[in-house]
Amino acid sequence: MPRATPAAGRVREAGRRAIAEGAVGMRRVLLRAAAGLGLAVAVAGADVPLETLGSTERLREPPHPHWVFVGDLLLRRSALLDLDRSTFLGMVSSGFLSQGIAVPRRRAEFYVPETYYSRGSRGERTDVVTIYDAAALEPVDEVAIPPRRAINVLPSANAALSDDDRFLAVFNMTPATSLSVVDVEARSFAGEIATPGCSLVYAGGERRFLMLCADGSLLTVTLDEAGQEAGKLRSEPFFDPNEDPVTEKAVRYGDRWLFVSFEGQVHAVDVSGDAPRVEAPWSLLDEADREDAWRIGGIQHLAVHAASGRLYSLMHRGGADTHKQSGSELWVYDLGTRERTQRIALHHPGFSFMGDTIEFGKSWPWPFNRLSDWLLDSVAPNPGLDVVAVTQDAEPLLVTGSKQSGSLAVYDARSGRFLRRISSGNFMVHAVQAPWSAP
Amino acid sequence: MSRFDLWFAQSARALARRTSRRSFLSRLATLILGGSALPLLPVARAAAQPRAPAPGEPDPATPAGDPESCEYWRHCAIDGFLASCCGGTHTSCPPGTEMSLVTWLGTCRNPADGKDYVISYNDCCGKDLCGRCFCQRNEGDKPVYYPSKSNDINWCMGREGVIYNSTVAIVVGVATES
Repeated sequence: MPRATPAAGRVREAGRRAIAEGAVGMRRVLLRAAAGLGLAVAVAGADVPLETLGSTERLREPPHPHWVFVGDLLLRRSALLDLDRSTFLGMVSSGFLSQGIAVPRRRAEFYVPETYYSRGSRGERTDVVTIYDAAALEPVDEVAIPPRRAINVLPSANAALSDDDRFLAVFNMTPATSLSVVDVEARSFAGEIATPGCSLVYAGGERRFLMLCADGSLLTVTLDEAGQEAGKLRSEPFFDPNEDPVTEKAVRYGDRWLFVSFEGQVHAVDVSGDAPRVEAPWSLLDEADREDAWRIGGIQHLAVHAASGRLYSLMHRGGADTHKQSGSELWVYDLGTRERTQRIALHHPGFSFMGDTIEFGKSWPWPFNRLSDWLLDSVAPNPGLDVVAVTQDAEPLLVTGSKQSGSLAVYDARSGRFLRRISSGNFMVHAVQAPWSAP
Repeated sequence: MSRFDLWFAQSARALARRTSRRSFLSRLATLILGGSALPLLPVARAAAQPRAPAPGEPDPATPAGDPESCEYWRHCAIDGFLASCCGGTHTSCPPGTEMSLVTWLGTCRNPADGKDYVISYNDCCGKDLCGRCFCQRNEGDKPVYYPSKSNDINWCMGREGVIYNSTVAIVVGVATES
């Protein structure tokens, strides 16, 4: 398998040295130019000590539960933000339409399936799973996979990590469908498994992945210890893909995957047993909600806070085929009682242009310092919210984002209270992941 | 010295604002942000060249007969940039791009004759996002695991390249009651 070698590290080191030397040379040139202009160059006795060139930050370890990746399809990257301090920690560049970063629980790494062309937008296609050092945000290795990675605009379900963090399954579509399996511990390609008629991938155990099939059934793919196919099992259809299909944006709640349909039916799939067990569906909507035309919708329209058993669902009012429409409210459900416990009217995510949030007057005296927030929530048209995520800790935060802005809104996930807006530097928000739970 | 630094920093910032990647990105953002609003502007309508009406099509002066309009009848299941705004037409791809062979299908009603037609939404591939006339209507759209009806898939995958540029809407048949 093609792998990054120690030579790659040496090349990087040499590169850093060259940059540092170049910078020193540049400084010499500037100093000479300044001297030529008759400016005094006093190095000794300066008030600010001279600084070294070429240093790079590392992230604090371990990562904090309130750190989130914010994906942008246009800029082909994910920004890493600290929601508590509203700071930008760093970013990951991820190639053409890369979706989702697979974060293991047991290693300070993460994995990004990526697609590149030798001439940028043309030339030879290369697909890789890039292995990142999670603290350095730096690629440390890569595993080549067949150049058949599925390319779509989903925020998730195109790759999944087995529950023991050993195998990463990447969904392929040419449009023939299959899985590429990567052993991320050994950092090698294990093989490809044909999965005709079935798509996407969800983890369902240590050696098991689930896929959704065009007839509304589940395909269970089991691996052996080498990552080869050990078995495939097709279930009976559990929903009607023509009448009321489930969206691809399912969320994991312990041993269950929660698939929600266009009409708001929750289909829970329990993966704790030998074979996946589909539970009786229940609805997010009652009669009154249906009469008012409330529907689910958005790019990433569901989030679960596992410890408290709360489900968050983006909702809007609209007709048929509005399953991708932005949400105006966030409805909160208790997964134990299956009752709706709260409706949160969502604030404007904030406008951004060229990655910068558009706001003003934050340093003006009260109450004028709140003018820009007031204008956003009361006057400006709300583009609606397409993405919701929740952090997995005891003091969870909710994050909402829009495909029309790089700005995010942050809420207290327990009370639903709006806290602040923060800037991701993105042109748009396509996905938000809160991958690190509390230790 | 500090004034020199200040001047240098300000000029560098001004230069960065004016040129290179930043200005390219600015133009890209303008295209992307402005692209969605463009079809709504009456100026864009008025500036468009008059087209000869296609046989059996609605009046080209109406949104239902204007292939550069998101409301054009054939666009009922689309999610992408309209090829007709990007150097192509509603049936042909922009110069230098290549049409995908595999694709998804929608069923749209032609207001001119009241019939339902099967529309093939082929992607134009090999150049980056066009950025003009983004249109998302989703009628009959199904999730990605139902590929023949899913507009969230990049259908350029069937070609050598997968870079997506824009989408055409081609009539491939009359829909019959099933």
